[in-house]
Amino acid sequence: MDPISQAFDLVLQWQVVGAVVAAAIFGLLVGAIPGLTATMATALLVPFAFFMDPVPAVGMMVTCAAMAIFAGDIPGTLLRIPGTPASAAYAGEGYAMTLRGQAELALGANLLYSALGGLFGTAVLIFAAPTLAEIALNFSSVEYFWMALLGLTCAVFIGASSPLKGLISLFIGLFVATIGLNNPAGVPRFTFGSSDLLAGIDFIPAMIGLFAVSTVLSTVAAGAPAWEVAQKGMGNIFRSWGTLLRTYWRQQLRGNVLGTTIGALPGAGADIAAWVAYAISRRFSRQPEKYGTGHVEGIVEATSANNAAVSSAWIPAFVFGIPGDTITAIVIGVLYVKGLNPGPTLFLFNPQTIYAVFLIFILANLVMIPLGWLVIKLTKRLLQAPRRILMPLILAFCMVGAYASNNSVYGIVVMLVFGVLGFFMEENDIPIAPCILGIVLGPLLEDRFISAMIRGDGSLLFFFERPIAAGLGVVVLSIWAFSLIGWLRRRRKLAQAPAG
Amino acid sequence: MRFNDMMLGAVLLAFAVVLAGFAMTFPAIPGQRFGAGLFPLLIALGFAACGIALVLQHLRSPHAGREPLVMRTEWTQKPGAILAVLITIAVMIGYILLSRPIGFLPIMALMTLILFRLLQVPWWQALLFAVGGTFVLDLIFRSLLMVPLPYGIIPYLPW
Repeated sequence: MDPISQAFDLVLQWQVVGAVVAAAIFGLLVGAIPGLTATMATALLVPFAFFMDPVPAVGMMVTCAAMAIFAGDIPGTLLRIPGTPASAAYAGEGYAMTLRGQAELALGANLLYSALGGLFGTAVLIFAAPTLAEIALNFSSVEYFWMALLGLTCAVFIGASSPLKGLISLFIGLFVATIGLNNPAGVPRFTFGSSDLLAGIDFIPAMIGLFAVSTVLSTVAAGAPAWEVAQKGMGNIFRSWGTLLRTYWRQQLRGNVLGTTIGALPGAGADIAAWVAYAISRRFSRQPEKYGTGHVEGIVEATSANNAAVSSAWIPAFVFGIPGDTITAIVIGVLYVKGLNPGPTLFLFNPQTIYAVFLIFILANLVMIPLGWLVIKLTKRLLQAPRRILMPLILAFCMVGAYASNNSVYGIVVMLVFGVLGFFMEENDIPIAPCILGIVLGPLLEDRFISAMIRGDGSLLFFFERPIAAGLGVVVLSIWAFSLIGWLRRRRKLAQAPAG
Repeated sequence: MRFNDMMLGAVLLAFAVVLAGFAMTFPAIPGQRFGAGLFPLLIALGFAACGIALVLQHLRSPHAGREPLVMRTEWTQKPGAILAVLITIAVMIGYILLSRPIGFLPIMALMTLILFRLLQVPWWQALLFAVGGTFVLDLIFRSLLMVPLPYGIIPYLPW
């Protein structure tokens, strides 16, 4: 039987379809609640993924992520509180439309273009990934080292608002990854005699702590106040779709292409895609003066881009095992637990699994339309869901989930430590995403680095001896150089400003 | 709690020194020049570089010497906010210590009840959601996902 029909067999089972639909509803609900991010939704699913077969487990997380990125637009539009950071770029624009009584037009555009963007990104993923995997089969440890470094570099210098704080976050993550026995020399590091620490910091409770517990802590600190919705009624969201599709097909296409490209870069994901797409849309618009006053054009382009990026972020994740953003980082962690080591060999040995996941991508973006419509209908009640009841329940869920990762309270201890760490990092404007990428990529980076150092006998030139490695190396080093020069220039300008 | 650049930089530098000290003690792979110490050492260098950059940034900024080392962020001004965070953390520590001897059901119900009351949920709702939520979690994780949640003093429940 060929892999594609095997993939259909894997997907068309009631457990898989059921898991996808349940994850879709969960993702929509979590994404629609302000302050709960798509990453958090994915992290909360990890304990379940643990107990499932690989295909439903990955399918569940993939679906949940796509839904949460769309649903993040809902509170962004209605309350000006983006549900997830990927919606932040156009939350102001959407809210302006709500104030003019056009919430259904904005949300309709969000739903339509999110689904279409996701499908576009998926199409690129399906065609590009196997080809790239063939190239990746020739990669040696040096190329992997540079790829991992490229991902981390993008996360720090492009993703973070302050590269310095991004670097700090990255080093925290890399340090956490060094704890335990799992290193090229097999020496226990930073374990201080603890047998729990020998296995390293468990990834799942760390993730739950960084994303969910820190959110609970900051909400509790604020006293979990309720929200006020500006627009009371909600009209028919489908009515405007025909006009939108005819008027804004250029913006849609540009957003899709841009989002897919940014998503496919290791270390850059949906948030950045949305910001860049919104800026480009404004730059090339015939009516740039309307932006910010409740104009749907920028929303179309940015929402097309962020969902396309969510799909294409899986390209580096599946092909190289290098996560494009925090969500793919979590799923890569789960893939390793499931024994499906992401990388080009996945396409060689388990093509049916990969095709099954592709099918789930398509399925997820199709069920987004009816379920999304339902959530928009229910949205007023959803936003009234009191956070003071949600937060303790989320915390309880986190604790049981962290416990379930290895059936011991050690998981909860890790979760608590990382929850407090995440809270402290947010207080000091240190972004969390580079830390996660550091934890996930740290072991790979170290392993490839040490083995390349040993093979090259300590010569740094060895890192540039193969053509692809040299190319990647030059890209990474030039991103570093440009960031450093830019930073120094800004310093100098700042230093001159008070004098001038 | 917010550290200024000077303080954050100093903490990072101190951490880098400790990290480097530990890294030096790790043995190399037998017969090789590199081993378990190299990567942590590079991370320590990275932390040190970030620390120095932050300290320099602080010294050059117009706020130098005028900012307190540790500032209280906006939310801490709200009465009860710090206490709420501390209680939430204490509740988690309590669960870590007590769940095994006393059991998942009573401790989780108590924990969520305390948090609900902390957020000023009315008593009847707090009790309802605490007990109901605990049983739902028990059903999902113990019965469906087969996670061995600690029984403690509670006898085996048949579902």
